[in-house]
Formats: sequence, structure tokens, C-alpha cells
Amino acid sequence: MCVCVCVCVCVCVCVCVCVCVCVCVCVHFYLNCNNMKYMRSPPTPEMATQEVPLNETLAHLKTESETLKSKLEEERAKLHDVELHQVAEKVEGLGQFVMKTRRTLKGHGNKVLCMDWCKDKRRIVSSSQDGKVIVWDAFTTNKEHAVTMPCTWVMACAYAPSGCAVACGGLDNKCSVYPLSLDKNENLAAKKKSVAMHTNYLSACSFTNSDMQILTSSGDGTCALWDVESGQLLQSFHGHAADVLCLDLAPSETGNTFVSGGCDKKANVWDMRSGQCIQSFETHESDINSVRYYPSGDAFASGSDDATCRLYDLRADREVAIYSKDSIIFGVSSVDFSLSGRLLFGGYNDYTINVWDVLKGTRVSILFGHENRVSTLRVSPDGTAFCTGSWDHTLRIWA
Amino acid sequence: MKDGIANNSTASISQARKAVEQLKMEACMDRIKVSKAAADLMAYCEAHIREDPLIVPVPASENPFREKKFFCTIL
Repeated sequence: MCVCVCVCVCVCVCVCVCVCVCVCVCVHFYLNCNNMKYMRSPPTPEMATQEVPLNETLAHLKTESETLKSKLEEERAKLHDVELHQVAEKVEGLGQFVMKTRRTLKGHGNKVLCMDWCKDKRRIVSSSQDGKVIVWDAFTTNKEHAVTMPCTWVMACAYAPSGCAVACGGLDNKCSVYPLSLDKNENLAAKKKSVAMHTNYLSACSFTNSDMQILTSSGDGTCALWDVESGQLLQSFHGHAADVLCLDLAPSETGNTFVSGGCDKKANVWDMRSGQCIQSFETHESDINSVRYYPSGDAFASGSDDATCRLYDLRADREVAIYSKDSIIFGVSSVDFSLSGRLLFGGYNDYTINVWDVLKGTRVSILFGHENRVSTLRVSPDGTAFCTGSWDHTLRIWA
Repeated sequence: MKDGIANNSTASISQARKAVEQLKMEACMDRIKVSKAAADLMAYCEAHIREDPLIVPVPASENPFREKKFFCTIL
């Protein structure tokens, strides 16, 4: 790169006599320029040979990785002796379903992005694109608390197990915890505690078994476990090759694992203590928007932009069911199981909710009501109802 | 520039090494047959299906969301 600087200087002297003096000065600056290369000594034979082993090692590792992958597939295929829906043929079919909207929660000024139930089976926290986080009483549809976040697109919110706090975050790259007070007039924003810090948007958050720890996933491709009190990072989970969009903790009986899904089409199962990825599943054809454990903890379901929901069994280490129809072409934004695990609810971008028979693989019902895409769906802790949030600014309780 | 290339190679090599280690670990896993896994899923469903309020509806008086309100619904 050459930089030429020409400087012309004109000087006029006296009334009758004019003297012009032009001075051109060229200054060349070379940064990593041809001249420099010529000045450097030509590559020595040792440097040339050093590169060859590096390339060989990389190729060698790549082939080893390919062989291991095909060996893994072989091992998994050996145990694929039957399909889930074949085994489930002898199971009784489900009857007709009458599920309707029982409550509509209106109050958000923009798209509802996320919601969570409180353990008391009655309160709900929801967050929206306009930065508002609202706590509702689902029985009466009253709003109990409202907080305005300093950022828009609050993509994640979660209720603490005690019911005394909520966590939320989004484009601010943080997860903040707000203790809920009984005093309605108290300004919740004043007591806010910033817990998690990521380098990209927060896509999902969840308290672990106590109010003391929070698990987060982010657009920066990582998940992380944080201590709420100190804000300290306890463990980070690296392995996704793109944004992580969702996570779900294993039911408490089955131990310290969680599953995450991302834009790299992979669903990873992690050990929370060691930070290791213990299993990985890559059968979806597009971003995985939602993952949810089966109630027994032995399997999990995922919903993706490829318009399918899939069931993966952790002990068989493979996908065991696909829930799809040719007529369903819009992506799934969120999934959840009913209490027994027999039903899988999927919220879709075509404004509907499809209800699937988990064992038989068939659709048992399709629910209409929302006027824009369904962005979030959760079944209540006691299984009596499920709540959906939508881009039409409302939440609906179905039972 | 040559240093740059070398750095990229070492980074991709360490990435490739990590991927190989991860795959080796995953390959060592103890797996069960799909028939057994499916049977267990079915057993769990069978055991809990009667407690599932969305499949076996509880009386309206016990489901706070289904109980009748004090006004008429328009059919």
C-alpha cells in the first residue's frame, strides 16, 4: 500500500514582483508492501516443510472425525430394531379433544416473545418486543406486576421456583433478576440485579432447582450457568457452532443435565457440572427453536423451522419419532408435553397449535385462535391447561 | 501474512482435535435398543395418563380454567 502525499506551496512576495514557489514532496509509506517482501529473506526450506505437516495433521484429523461419525451412525443403527409408532400400535387411541381458549390476556403493546408459569399453577410471566415484562394472574386475567426493561425484544423470561422473582433478558445481552414484592406500588426496576453477561442476545433463561442459579443461552453460541447472588459465572458450555436458541433443564429426578438447541441444527445434551457435551443430535434440517424434556427425563422433543417436531430418546441415543405433515409448512416456534407425556403441543408460525399423539406419531387436534404467529407455549405445572403467547400481542390459556 | 495462515491452521487443528475427542467420547456411550426405549416411554405414559387433566378431563369444578363463569357464553 503506497501513500503519496504532494504538497504544493505557493509564496507571493512584494507588490510588483511575484514569486511563486512550488514544492512537491512525495512521501511513500509502505505497509506490508512489495518493497518489504523483497527486503525479507526468501522462505527457508524449513518454513516450507513446517506447513506440510500442519496440513497433513488437519486432513488426518478430518478423516478421523469422518470415520468416527460413520462409526457412531453404525452403532446407533444397530439398535434401531423398531419404530416407536409400531410399538405403540397396541396402545389405545386417544378420544376427541375439546380444547378451547379459556382466558385471553391482553395488555402487551407488541409481540409476545416468551412466557413462563409460576409453580403456583396460576401466575404467569410474559415478555414482549416493546420491552415490557408483565406478571399475570391467569385465573382472573389481572396484571399483578409490570416492569419496563431498558431494551426491546425481551426474548427470554422465567419465573423463579419460589415465585418471588422473575428473570428476563434479550437484546441487552444480559439476564436480569427482579424480585417481586407484594407492594404493588413498589418500583420493581429499582431492585433489578444483573446476573448474566453474554456477548450477544439472550435467547433463553431458566432457574435451576432453586432461586440461586440461572442457566442462560445466547446468540453468541454458548450456554452458561450463573450464581444469582454474586453474578458469577459458574460454568460455560461451548459446542454449538451458531446461535443457541433454546434450552430445557432435565426434570429434577434425572440429574444435572440440560438440552439446548441452536441455529446449527443441533440439539446438545450437557452435563451441568463438568460443562461437557454428552450427546449431540443433528437430524433437523433447520434452526431448532424449542427443546423440551419428556416428563420422565429419558427423551426430549424439539421444534424447528423445518416445520417438524422430533422426539429423541437419550438412552437409545437417536431420533425415535418425527411429527410432521405435508400440509404443515411453517416452522415450529415452541413445544411442550402434557403431564403424562402422551400429548405434544406445538406452536407454529402459521398461527395454529398442533396437538400430536407422542406415541403414535399422529396429529390429534389443531387449534385456531391466534391472529399472528405463536411464539411461545408452556403447559401449566399441574397440567390442567397450557398457555400460548403470540405476535398478535395476546396470551391465551387453553384447557 | 504467513504467521496469519499458521495461526488459522493451529486454530482449525485444535477445533478438529476437539471434535475428534468429542466423537470418541460419544462413541463409547452405552446404548439401549429402540424397542426397549419405546417400551419405557409407553410405560411412563400408561402410568400417568389417568392423572393428565388434558387427556382425562377432571370435573369442571376442579379445573379452575374450565369452571363456569357467571355470565353466558355466546355460541
